[in-house]
Amino acid sequence: MTELSKTENSFASSPVLEGRSLALWEIASVATSCLIAEWVVLSFAGRSKLTIAIPTLLALGLMYFSHRERGETLREIGFRTDNFFAACRLLLLPTAVVMALIVTLGWLASHSISLAPWRNRFLLLPLWALFQQYVLNGFINRRAQLALGRGTTSVLLVALVFSLFHFPNPMLAILTFVGGLIWAAVYQRQPNLFALALSHALSSVTLALAISPKLLESLRVGFKYFG
Amino acid sequence: MKNPSTRLVHVLIGKSIIETLVVGALAVFTFITILPPYFHGWGEVTNNGISGWVVNNASPWERVEVQLFVDGKFAGVGIADQSRPDVSAAGWARDPWHGYSFRLTSLRLRYHEARVYALHDSGRGARKSLQLVGDPIPFFVDDQGTITRLPSK
Repeated sequence: MTELSKTENSFASSPVLEGRSLALWEIASVATSCLIAEWVVLSFAGRSKLTIAIPTLLALGLMYFSHRERGETLREIGFRTDNFFAACRLLLLPTAVVMALIVTLGWLASHSISLAPWRNRFLLLPLWALFQQYVLNGFINRRAQLALGRGTTSVLLVALVFSLFHFPNPMLAILTFVGGLIWAAVYQRQPNLFALALSHALSSVTLALAISPKLLESLRVGFKYFG
Repeated sequence: MKNPSTRLVHVLIGKSIIETLVVGALAVFTFITILPPYFHGWGEVTNNGISGWVVNNASPWERVEVQLFVDGKFAGVGIADQSRPDVSAAGWARDPWHGYSFRLTSLRLRYHEARVYALHDSGRGARKSLQLVGDPIPFFVDDQGTITRLPSK
């Protein structure tokens, strides 16, 4: 029993598993769940909600457990309002520039600014954006900072992971890489998920309205991209 | 931020194991759904083409759709619904209506290879797969257009 406790303690206090590796492992694990959902489940199990729920719930379960284990509060994660306007101020210019670029791209592609029809499902976009921002920044960015420290390297890792989730759609992969860079950098300065979700939702609606679905391959990712 | 306990490592390992099992189960399920191992049949050279029979053992009364490829190129499609009493008599099918035949015309003078595939729908028609029925069928077309069977490789 004493031997077992010793082993467990040495395992727990292993500097490798406590630090970078564990945080990177957590990122890899959540990313794997997302990729399994996109590339395997959605492609081969159709729209079976139960099957899609498995990797989703596993990832959410891990994130919840990890937050609890590390003693992170909702406020620390970014579900807060005190820095909402400060985060919005940081996001205003880059979001406006990205939206302008998206509209320009749409114009260059079709030589006209033709708005796609409004869809009621756009109303749910803020919630979907909040969920994505929670996973991307509330979890992945926080673990990236644990592993690589605050700054360029961790911001790049977050953007790369976000872009990877949108492969092999080239247009989406590029756009999400840029978006990931902006949102990760802002989160590291002002961790507010509501402001990030607002910027994300606005950019997504602009994208869906201004760029033809053909150019974006109907926003398909994973195996679905191929048809 | 607190340092996590070993339980987090255990959860990570457990999650990986569950995901591996889910992906493995899904791979097996997908293989069985898309390429079910229920098709049986045979094809052979006749005087003017290729004929044979196909049965879907999972659905014995179904008339299977078949496609013919000659030298790797699509050459025809048909339904295996012709009478083949020998097939049912030999116990391969429950009724005799599982035969197919393709006429081969305008083939060049040379050796050819025909392959007959059973077409299978899955995902409510979202996916279609082809399964080779029997073995590839080698044959020779002479300058008179006569088809001669060759021994299988």
